[in-house]
Formats: sequence, structure tokens, C-alpha cells
Amino acid sequence: MAEVSKGIAEKWGLVVDQDRCTGCNACVVACSMENNVPFTGEDNVAFGRGTYWIYNKRMWEGNYPEVAPAFQPVMCQQCGSAPCEPVCPTFAAVHSEEEQINLQIYNRCIGTRYCANNCPYHARQFNFEDPNIPEPMNSYLNPDVTVRRRGVMEKCTFCVQRIVAGRQTASAEDRSLRDGEVMPACVAACPSGALVFGDLSDPNSRVSQMAQNERQYKLMDELGTRPKVTYLKGGGRNGG
Amino acid sequence: MAAETKLFGKLKTTEQEHEDPKEQLMFDPRPREELNRMVMEMMTTTTRKFWLWAIGLGAGVAVLLFGAWGYMISTGMWVTGLRRPIYWGVFIVTFVFWIGISHAGTFVSAILRVFKSEFRRPFTRAAELMTTFGLAAGALYPLIHLGRVWVFYFMVPYPNARWLWPNFRSPLVWDLLAITTYLLSSTIYLYLPLVPDLAMARDRTTGLRHTAYKILALGWRGTEAEWFRLKKAIQIFAFAIIPVMFSVHTIVSWDFAVSQVAGWHSTIFGPYFIIGAILSGVSAVVTILYVLRSTLKHMDYFLRPEHFDALGKLILVFSMSWAYFFFNDYLLGWYGGEAAVRQILTLHASGPAAWVWYTMLICNIVIPWLTLWNRKIRRTPWLMFIITLLINVGMYLERYTIIPLTLGHQRTPFDWGVYTPQPVEISIVLGTFCLFTFLYLIMSRLIPLVPVWEVQEGQVAHTLRKVGKAEVPSVTELD
Amino acid sequence: MYTKVVHMALFKEEQLDHAAESIARLRSLGVSDRDISVISGIPFSEKILDRPMNWTNVGRIGIAGAILGFITALLLNFGTPFLYPLRVADMPIFFPIPTSIVVTFELVMLGLLISTFIGVFVETISPSYGPQGYHPKVSDGHIAVLFSGPMDLDQQFHSTFAELGATLEHDVEEEKLWL
Repeated sequence: MAEVSKGIAEKWGLVVDQDRCTGCNACVVACSMENNVPFTGEDNVAFGRGTYWIYNKRMWEGNYPEVAPAFQPVMCQQCGSAPCEPVCPTFAAVHSEEEQINLQIYNRCIGTRYCANNCPYHARQFNFEDPNIPEPMNSYLNPDVTVRRRGVMEKCTFCVQRIVAGRQTASAEDRSLRDGEVMPACVAACPSGALVFGDLSDPNSRVSQMAQNERQYKLMDELGTRPKVTYLKGGGRNGG
Repeated sequence: MAAETKLFGKLKTTEQEHEDPKEQLMFDPRPREELNRMVMEMMTTTTRKFWLWAIGLGAGVAVLLFGAWGYMISTGMWVTGLRRPIYWGVFIVTFVFWIGISHAGTFVSAILRVFKSEFRRPFTRAAELMTTFGLAAGALYPLIHLGRVWVFYFMVPYPNARWLWPNFRSPLVWDLLAITTYLLSSTIYLYLPLVPDLAMARDRTTGLRHTAYKILALGWRGTEAEWFRLKKAIQIFAFAIIPVMFSVHTIVSWDFAVSQVAGWHSTIFGPYFIIGAILSGVSAVVTILYVLRSTLKHMDYFLRPEHFDALGKLILVFSMSWAYFFFNDYLLGWYGGEAAVRQILTLHASGPAAWVWYTMLICNIVIPWLTLWNRKIRRTPWLMFIITLLINVGMYLERYTIIPLTLGHQRTPFDWGVYTPQPVEISIVLGTFCLFTFLYLIMSRLIPLVPVWEVQEGQVAHTLRKVGKAEVPSVTELD
Repeated sequence: MYTKVVHMALFKEEQLDHAAESIARLRSLGVSDRDISVISGIPFSEKILDRPMNWTNVGRIGIAGAILGFITALLLNFGTPFLYPLRVADMPIFFPIPTSIVVTFELVMLGLLISTFIGVFVETISPSYGPQGYHPKVSDGHIAVLFSGPMDLDQQFHSTFAELGATLEHDVEEEKLWL
């Protein structure tokens, strides 16, 4: 059980190696399928209402003709001191003391969208409309995850359903979780291994060691949000 | 006023010298019976124009407000123009606007009462009505902007089966408590000085009206004990409702200031919003007073150019204070704030929506500063109507600048966006304006709009005294 | 318990001095202040009419309400996170001071103002002592002096008030002005 004191509590963390990210967006697709993310359609995404929990920020660097893209997959940073949490009037955004991630509880959400305004990473998505999934298309839905209706906020949960399932498997087999056993959908789908997930409180885990790499930085950490996602600065090789 | 100071040996020959004190309400006393008759006629005289407006506004409320809102509830928030990253749009802008307007009544009836400003006497009730209905309109918005309004009661603190209290750290819950407190207090503060006038109305009506006034007047006779108790309660309310008024708009401003949004996280938001609210509110009082004066019978006896003059001076002072706070917020951000804030300020002043910013500055600063120093302009009601209407347009645009424009231009350019209000949102906003005006119209038929006992009390207290060779107005303190 | 006969003298609104004078004369005739009550359309302080000081409990009821509001706020600020702790943004649950302390001010003011109103309401509908009676002319600005005194002084009452220019009414019935 992680201790709850300032700055010491650690558990699940993610490392994104921007040197390996090719911008293929497999993480986006895998996340959407795993978490029943509604497909809002091209027009809505163009209007700014895409609901992807992880999105690949593509930034162009350099001048023509030496233009190169830089890719930065951004998902909920599961901040240690999340600005989205204290502003929710109904405790729909709370901090999990056990998993040390930021939870979004759909049943409590009344849709004030204050949390979305307060997220500096704009990682929270709002369901503006009901999902339109006619039969038999609904057979693709993941039964481990609820389907949200309109009016509630949603965001990346580090695939908490997989974390819980992993814990249950481990306790059924009377052992502790192994490093790399639990993998969110994006991590599992990434073809180049740019995303690494694990237990930050274990100094021997792969994610803890990668997080101490000399290229490491955190997004907007000057804001004091203490994100659990560490980025490794790319060298422009884009996985090649 | 009438006592002139001799400057450098020359007598100032202004219009003040020729002004007859009888032009002022307090020096133009009429028998109380006549005042009562005027106020009752004001309340009961209904013209055809009134009915046309009432039906029109009622239809506006039904269709523009409840119709559009019902449509939005049934189909979803996608009918608004909200999008990533601007999740708060004109609904919250209008919410802050209405809460600002509601500061009008408290300012006039509480702060001016505490400072013993005699010119407040004829319009305290009209201003208090603005507070009550401004809050009624504003309090709808925390419900309107919810994604799941049918579970709004999750925010209400009561022991429940969910084993969940609302999050008292959230400024939205503070909003709920503050606005409830303010709404209840200002309704009671409207009611308490109304009781003697309801007693007067009780004595002069029959039938259903008489029964209603009889119940509401609580058997008022006017004994010394009753007056003493009433005055004590009004005094408590006047002193207590001022900090409540300050706290309400401070808490509304903290909806923005406690966040980490660049451009919102400013410690000056509390006082800045309060001053903006008072500016907006007092301007709205003048707007409404002009409408009342032009449409209600006998109102031109009670509301005179002197009242517009006094309020105009206040508006000028508050416009200057607002400019001071505006400058304090933005100059410092521009000088050495974080890069995102500097970019936002550049966007405000030179982006595609720069017209919003410039209109705001012209309406809030340029127009008042150019006009309100002039006594003749201040004493012309229709000019004051236009000036104050423009001030409120400017204040609405100020909130628009602060909310959607700032939210759309945060720290990461990838997430920038532009917000355009959609027809459903505009309809609901117009609907709440219709609601405010409709409620005001109906109330003007139901209760006497002028606090007659306070006007008479003031007239009894004002006399002309001979000081030296001049007849000087003097006010006696009757309590 | 014998009911006293109540007389009412009506003064026009300009005759405030006469009304004050009449009260002094009534007192010299032996009518006690408890048997005199003055009703008017605008408030006159006790000093103007030379009457005993009034009192009311409204202030104390208000303070009691404010204390109740404060206690409620303490319960909401400290009691609820203690009973149902939910962690947000790494803020301490409630020690030493939670950020929700803002609601304390609102609830104190709510308590103060609601209880002041309840105090006014309760005091208004409670029975009042002293001569009962009313005349609608009072809301038209007239000042009415209600008094009850022994029958044999009737002639003197008449002459006093006639001298001061008031109309005198005898045997005023208690009017039911409320429910």
C-alpha cells in the first residue's frame, strides 16, 4: 500500500520514449477499442469534439525542405497533484490512494466541465452526444468498461480495468504482480515499444529505470502537477 | 449645493445658483395621502402597451428560454458551440453577468442606506427587485450549463443514500451556497421594508388583492414596537448583506481564479469582479429607472434628474475603479507574466476577436469618462439610459473576453481553439433577459414600487434652514 | 379580566408636536405609559415622543442563528471529510484547515439573516400588549394615540384633544388585521 504523504506516493507510471514513437497512432486505436471510446466522426473531430483519450501531437520542425515531424503521444498524466480533482463539485474526479492514479467516476459526473477547463494538458474529453452504436456493431464493445452516455467527462485511466484484472490474477495465484505483466492497451499496441508502463514505487522496474534517463522531462511540470508520465526527448530519429 | 462658496472673491454663477430646491424630491413634499394614491395608481394603472409587452415577453420566456433549454436537455450539449478546449461559453458569461447585475440592489439599498445617502429613497425597492430577479435569472445558469442537469441534486449538501457529500473544496459548491444565501437574504431584505407599504396597500384595496396584502403585511399597525423591530432588522440586514454581496461575487470570481488556467489564476480577480459587478449593477439601475420613469404613472414625481445625477457620479467613480483594477490585472501580466499570459493579452488586443476587447474598453472607459463628468448629461435621463446600456454591453463583453477567449488560447498551441456561440445558446441567453424583464413587469403590478414610507420619512427630515443670508437644505437625523 | 376601553386620537401628519404634547398631558392626567400606544405611518423615535425605550430580541435571535450557521459549517468542513474521506489533488483531508473553509462565511451569514427574519416574524405575530386598535388613516400619514383611562376623566380627555386639534374616537374595537 503506497503511503499517502506529499510527493512520496508512487505507483503506476508511464514512460514515453519520443525517440521511438513513429506517429503510427496504433495506441489511439487500441485505446479506443479497449475503453469503448465513442467515435464522434470526422465533422465532430474537425469541430474540436474528438473524444480520443490518447492523441498524438504532431509538431513540425525545421524549414522546408528539411521538415521533420516530432510526435508526442499525450494522455491523462495522472497527476500527483491534479488540478482537475479539487474543482469537481461531486467528487467525480478523485485520487485513488491505492493505485495513485486519477479516477473519473462516471456515475457522479453531472457535467460541469470544470475539470476539463482546469486540466493544463487538455487530456479530458466531454461526451457531447450519446454514442451511436447500432446493432450488431455493439458486439465490439469491451464488457469490462462502461459505455458512457452524453453529459459525462471521460479520460485515460491507465486501463484501470486491466490493472484490477492483473491484481486479481496475481492474488488468485498467491503472488505479487510482475513487472510488465499489466499493460494498458496503448502500451500493448505500440509496435516500436515507445510506451513503457509499470510500478514507479519499485526501483527495479523497467519504468523506474527509464524515468531516470538523462533525456527525461515532464510536461509542464513547472505548474506543480507532478505527472506520472515521463517523456524522453527524441533525437529526431523517429524510430529509424 | 445651494450654499455657494466664494472662490477668489467671485461668486460662481452656475446653474446651481438658480436651482430651486423644490426641484428635489425631498423638498417637494406632498401629503402622505397623495403619495399613497400616486403609488397605488402606479401599481394598478395598466395600459394596453403593458399587456402587449407582458404577452410578448412571456412568449419569449416560454420559447426562447424553456423551449430551447428543453431542446438542449433532450438532445444533448452538442447543440452548443462548446468544444475542446473551450468548455465554458456564453452560459457562464451570462451567469457572471446576471450575478453582477444583482449587485445593483444591494449597493443601492444597503450600502447607500449605511452611508445615509438620502437620494436612494425613492428607488431602493426598484433596485432590490433587480437583485432578486437578476439572481433568479443567474441562478438558472449553473443548471443550464450542466451536461446532466437531471442529477443536479448531487451538488446539494444533504445526507443521502449515496454516502456522498458534495466536494466543499469546489468553487461550484461555494457558488451554490453563496447564491442561495444571497437570494434568500435579498428576498427578505426586499420584503422587510415592504411590510409598511403592504399595510398601506391593504388599507386601500379590496378582494383578492386585499387578502394577499393582509397576509403579507403580518398585521402591521405601525406601533412603536413594530417600527423599532423593523428598523433594527433592516439595520442588521443592511450591514450584513454588504459582506454577503462582496463574498458572492468573490466566490464567482474564484470559479476562475482558483484554476491554473493562464489568464485566470490572478489574485486580483476578487476585487476586480466586485467592482465590475457594481459598475454593471448601478448602470443597470439607471437603465431600469429610466424605463420606469417613462412608463409608470406618477413615477416622474419620484424619480428626478437629481437621482440620475447622483447615480451618474457613482458610475463615473466605479468606471475609474474598474479601469484601475483592469490595468492592475493586465499590465502586470503583460509586463512579466508567463509567456502564455502575454500571448493571451496579445490575442485580446490584436487577434480576430479584438473588436470584443476594444468595444469593451470604449463602452466601459471611454464613454463614461467622456460624458459622466458633465452635469447636464448626468441630469438627462435618456442620455443616461444610453450610456448605461452601453456600459452593460461593455461589461458583458468583458466577461466574454475573460471566459471563452482566454480558454481557447492556453499553453499548448496544439490545443488552441475558437468558440462561436450557437443559436440555441443565444436563444437561452435572450430568454433569460426576457425572464428578468417579464418578472419585473409582473411584480410592478403586484407590489408598490416606491417605498412611500421612506420617501415621506425623508421629506419630513429635510428642511430649509437659514444660515447667514442663504437658505440652506439641511437633513435632520430622526433616529 | 376586565377589558379596558380604548380611545383613539387622530392627529394629522403635520401635527407631530401636538401629538407629543398630548402624550405628556395624558401622563399628567394619570394615564400610565403602558396604557398608551402610538401608531404612525413613518417611524418616530422614542425620544421625539418622549416614550419609554423599546426593546426587541431580534438581534439576539440573529446571533443565535449565526452561531448555528457556524456549527453547521464546522460539521460540513471537518465532519464530512472525516466521515467520508476522499482525496483530491494531494490536499490534506482537513488538517490543519481545509480549502473548503470558505463556506463557513456563507453559512454564518445565512444563519444570521434567516434567523433575523424569523425573529421579526415571530415577534410580529406574537400578541402585543398595550391598547389595540387601528385606523386606515394611519397609513395615510396620520398619527394615532391609543390610550385607555378611567371613565371619569372622559371630559378632560375630550378637552385636551380638542385643544390640540385631534379627532377623538371612543370604544375602539380591536381589529383583526391578520389571520
